[in-house]
Order: sequence, then C-alpha cells, then structure tokens
Amino acid sequence: MTALKLLSRTKLYWGLIAIFLIGVLGSPVSSKGNNIFLSYGNLLDVLRQVSTTGLIATGMTAVIITGGIDLSVGSLMAICSVVCAMLLTVPGVTPGVVLGVPTVALVALCLGFVVTRFIFLNVEKSRAGPDAAARDVRLDSVRGLVTPAIVGVVLCCLSLWYLLPQIEPKFGVLGVLLVAPCVGLLFGAINGFIIVAGRLQPFIVTLAMMVTALGIARLTAGQNNAVLPVYTGSNATADFEMLRSLVFGVIPMPGLFFLGAILIYGAVLRFTPFGRYVYAIGGNEEAARLSGIAAGRVKIATYAVSGLLAGIAAVLYVAQYRQGKPDAGAGLELDAIAAVVIGGTSLMGGRGSLIGTFCGVLIFGLLSNILQLHNINSNLQLVLKGMIIIGTVLVQERNAGDLLAYLRLPGGQPARKETAAAKRPPQETPSLNLGGNKK
Amino acid sequence: MKRRDMLKLAALGAALLTTTALLSTGNAFAQDKKWKIGFSQVTTIEPWRAQFNKDIIAEAAKHPEVELIITDGEDKTEKQVADVENLIRQEVDALLVSPKESAGLTGVVQQAIDAKIPVFVLDRNVDTKDYTQFVGGDNKLIGRAAGEYAVELLGGKGKAAGNVVEIWGGMGTQPAHDRHDGFHEFTDKEPGIKYLLDQQSGDWKQDQAYNLMANALKTNEKIDLVYGHNDPMAYGAYLAAKDVGREKDIKFIGIDGLPNEGVQMVNKGELTATFTYVTPGAEGLRQAIKFLNGEKVEKTITLPTEKITKENAAQVLKDNGL
Repeated sequence: MTALKLLSRTKLYWGLIAIFLIGVLGSPVSSKGNNIFLSYGNLLDVLRQVSTTGLIATGMTAVIITGGIDLSVGSLMAICSVVCAMLLTVPGVTPGVVLGVPTVALVALCLGFVVTRFIFLNVEKSRAGPDAAARDVRLDSVRGLVTPAIVGVVLCCLSLWYLLPQIEPKFGVLGVLLVAPCVGLLFGAINGFIIVAGRLQPFIVTLAMMVTALGIARLTAGQNNAVLPVYTGSNATADFEMLRSLVFGVIPMPGLFFLGAILIYGAVLRFTPFGRYVYAIGGNEEAARLSGIAAGRVKIATYAVSGLLAGIAAVLYVAQYRQGKPDAGAGLELDAIAAVVIGGTSLMGGRGSLIGTFCGVLIFGLLSNILQLHNINSNLQLVLKGMIIIGTVLVQERNAGDLLAYLRLPGGQPARKETAAAKRPPQETPSLNLGGNKK
Repeated sequence: MKRRDMLKLAALGAALLTTTALLSTGNAFAQDKKWKIGFSQVTTIEPWRAQFNKDIIAEAAKHPEVELIITDGEDKTEKQVADVENLIRQEVDALLVSPKESAGLTGVVQQAIDAKIPVFVLDRNVDTKDYTQFVGGDNKLIGRAAGEYAVELLGGKGKAAGNVVEIWGGMGTQPAHDRHDGFHEFTDKEPGIKYLLDQQSGDWKQDQAYNLMANALKTNEKIDLVYGHNDPMAYGAYLAAKDVGREKDIKFIGIDGLPNEGVQMVNKGELTATFTYVTPGAEGLRQAIKFLNGEKVEKTITLPTEKITKENAAQVLKDNGL
C-alpha cells in the first residue's frame, strides 16, 4: 500500500490530531514563558471562533449530502442578526418585530401540521396495511387536515401568547432565541420549497436568496444601513451576556451550541429514517423517489434546518460582537462549504458525515489559530489555506494518484474510479430498502 | 515499491519540516527585543490603510527595542476580533487597535483591558472609556479646513459665489457626516453659494463618483467647485469633467492627502487641493512606547490636518521619498 493510499484511507480525525500535534510542538512561548497554543484560554478562543462557521457548516452538511448547496446562509444570518439586535434594543413595534413575530406564528402553525401529520399518518398506515391505500387517501384528506390544524393553531396561540407581551418594551433573551432562528427557518424553508416545487438548481435558488436576503436585511436595518449596536449594560442585554459566557466555567456557550448541533443533527442523520432518506436522495434521487421516499419534503427540511442553524448562529453573533449587521456573515457560506468538503462530504452528494464536518471545522479553526499565533503574513495564510483545501480533497477523493500520474510524477497511480466507487463504505450509502420499504 | 514509499515519506517529512521552519521564523529573534507590541489592522487593501501600515512599520524601524506584530482583519469583524484574541494570548506588552466598527470590537478590547494590557485605540473609537489612549484625526476639523478654503477659492468671505457639487462618502458613516458638517460651517454662511446635488453618495469610490459627476455635468451648465469626501471621489469627478472637456472651469477639493494618491493628483494639477487625514500609525506607536517606558500619556490625541496645494505638493512628495 502506497503512502498516498494510506493517507486517503486514514480517518479524518487523524488529520485533526496531526494538526493539533503540530500546534503543540510548534507552539510559540510568550514573553512570560507560557506555552501559548496549549493554554486553556487559547483553546477556548478557538472553539468560540469556529462555532459560528461550525453551526452553518452543520446545516450545510445535510444539504450537501442531498446533492444540493446553500449559498444563502450568510445573508440569512445577516437578516437574523438585524432582527435580533432590533428586538433587543429598540422598544415598540420595529421592522424586526414585524418580520419576527408573524414568522414564529407561521412556523409554529407549520410545525403543528408537520408533527401531527407525521405521527397520525404513520399510526394510521401501520394499522391499515398496504391494501388499504385507497382508504388512507380518504382518511388523509379529512383527519390529515383537521387534527394538524387544531394542533397548529394551539401551537401558534401559545407562541403568540408568549411573544406579544414582550413587544413592549423589549425582548428578553428567550424571546430572541425563539424569534431569530424561526426567521432563519422560514427563509430556509422558502429556499427548499422553491428548489423542490420549482424544480430549479439549488445553486441558482440559494444564490438568488443570498441577494434577496441581503436586501431584506438592509431594508430591515433601515436608515442606519450599517450597524445596530447592542450595548452592554442596557436592560435587555444583561441576560444576553449569558450567551457569551462560559457554561459551568468550562465551555463557551457558542461552543456548546455548536457541539449540541453536531450531536443532535448527527444523531438524526445517522439513526432516524429521515437521515437515511437524506443519504438515499443524495445517492440517487430518482431511485429514492421511486422507492417511496418523499424526496421533496426531506430536501425542504434540510434547507429549513440550514436556515434555522443560521438563525441560531446569528443570535450568537449578536451576543458575541454586540451588534446586528446587514453584512454579518458575508462570505461565511464559502468557509462553511470548505469545512464541509474538508470533512469528507462529497459535493456530488450521498456521502459524508457530521463528525467529518466537525473535524473539518476544527482543522480550519486550529490552522488559522496556529498561523496567527506565529504571525504568518495574512496573505500567505490565505494561500496555505487554499492549498490545504485542495490537498485534502485530492487525498479524500483518492484522486491524488491521478494528478501525479497526469503530471508524470513518481507515485502516480490512477485510482481506478469504478472500483473505488463500488468499494465505498456501505454504512455511508445505505441501501434504499432501509429507507423505503420498511413497513 | 517499498523504496518508493520511503521516498514519499521522506518528501512528506521534508514538507512538514519546511512548514515548521516557516512557522518559527516569526519569533526567531523575538527574544532580544524588549517590547512586544501588537497592532490589529482592519484591512490592508485600502490605500489609506496601506499607508497606515507603512507609517507604523516605518516608525517601528526607528525603535530597535520594539517587536511589532501586525494582523490583518480582512475587513471582517469576526476576523479582527479573533486577531485581537490571539494577540492577547501572545501576551503582548501593548495593544494597538484600529477597529472596523465600535460595537463589534468593544468586547474584545475590554477583554484586553481586563488582561492588564494597555490598549491604544486608533482612528475609530470603541464604546468603552477604559482604554489607555485614543489617537485619531478629527474629520470635522478637516471639513472646516476644506470649507474655509472653498470659500476662499470662490471669492473670499462674504463675497463667495458659485455652484458646488458635494460628493458624499458612505451615507451611514460618521466620517462622511463630520466632513459634511465641518465644510458647511463655513460655506453655509455664504449666500452666493448654491449646492447642486442633494446628499449624493459615491460610497468613497472613484467609479461611483465618476457616474454621479457625469450626471451632474449633464444637468448643470455651470459648476464651480467639487468637494469630494475623499481624494478618489474628487478624482473620479475630475475624470468625468475631463471627459467632457470642462475640467478647467472647475476646482476640485479632496480629503485624505495620501502621498501616492491625493498629493500626486494635486501635484499634477488635477485636484486643486487636498487636506491630509494623517494616519495615526506612527503617533500611536510613539505614544505606546512612551507609555511602556513609564511616561504619562494623554487620554486623547487629535491629529492635525495639513492643506496641500500645488505650492507644497512637490515638497510633500519629496519628504515621502516619491
């Protein structure tokens, strides 16, 4: 086995460990004799610095596994940060409230529909058996609408009951944590809906949304057009400080959100039918659809979650930088995509994992940290980062040998694509039976 | 087969070694320096910021006891905050920050202050008063100087008359408002002065100012003076006038006076005058060293402006080695 092959078979976390070791071994020592890289504060900094990109990358991973892409996340984050800052600082009915509160109501309503429909139909179908399909359709049309509607309205009323008293004077931290992610979720769902219902390229739709959302963010921010400062010390932000603090004095809150998102979404992708559908759609959407997977709904859900996580990232952004800004998160989508790709998720879809993304995000974060601690020229930093992205992907896609062979360099061996594709680990592309025909 | 593996491993090892060698050059001669001073810059691709860095590096070269670390925030708040966090971890003796914006950087500046690092805020302020010193220019003062000179150009106090085009920087930015207010303190007193455009922004950019001016030239027969909130915009206006052959009838005033930008334009006779908005780089570093040596420093230092016209432009260029 050649070294290249060895490298490409190596699990990604070895890369993470390697870069960590490089960081430790090459760590600069401060003037007071402390090891800088390994210091507790520095590692906390890294975790906090990567958490925004990390949250975005988490949502992006599932989208990319389905074979799509979400370029709008940066702009969605911008909208949510503006809404969030407005809710925190401006009393009364602001554009933020106008955008936020109805959204929460709408999302609650939809959630009611989705949740009850899902549960209700599953129970009904398992009782009825496959031959009673015609009856199912009839039942769907009646009970499938009435029950969800009731649950949705109840959820909607509950959220309004909680939110409306908060409009005067200002929103508290819980209200903001509810509203901003819902705004993100709504815009993400719109993305998904247009992609699925309009049968358009995800690239085009989310690109358009990137521009649109930027405009909405600026319109919402209004006259200021730039920064909505959230000053510390004002009443509303006292609680908000919590989102920047260390939890139990150990882990920074943004990091906790990031880890939580990775664990929860990772479990969903790995252990639930939804997760299997996501992989199946990415592997072969047509086959997935033919085997009974509601591919459209699953795809919409991945975009909605991506928007939701962008919204959460926005709240953390506002807490950390004490401002909402229409250009918050600019360029973030590219960082996130890079981290996802480094994490071994294929842009072709069907392959990848959140653990990989987690490693990718941390590799990027540690790399930036190490280069910065050594005061490497910032332009050179960009060059190094770009080269590392290409190198990693070449190794992971097992195409490094092809490139070397093409250049007639030693060690070049075509990877024989067909067998490589056939040998992909089975647990990463589950057979469609797992998803579709389980009755 | 095996030998080939060895070769590749060797190559890999060599690559790693080079990287680490590259990595460690940064602090190779850090030991014999007395003060380690960190400077967090917003971006390096804007001409004024580039001059800013040049000034501070030139000043650092005069102080052999100082090791200066400059970071580039790439025009992103997140990156700049991370930069400052890194400088704090490196336990710099003093921190110089030129914030991208006040709100976003306040938290991390406070963090540095809490870590007992003296903080010198340059150019744009932060929302706390605990920093050691603020060094920056005063845009209102510069606007006033420009306004005073504009009145002089248009016929003198009480008699000034003419049509003025003012090209704003970004509408949402404080410097633009200050440069506007200062200018109008003088020109508003002159009944003969007419303003042709109503708050048109060129967003600090030459191309946008060109388009603005091209339109203004089409709709106005007579334009006497153009006041651009920075030199590139004044120059853009000049180019627009030149393209329709009317540049000789119009006087162009800009602001910033960078040696290789505004001063060159004035020297070539393209702009009538520019007013320097001095970068706080050199002064900031001098103050930081003063403070580290145990001297007292003032809380705020306002940098003066200088009027640059055809008469002194050549000299200024010479002083800057151009």
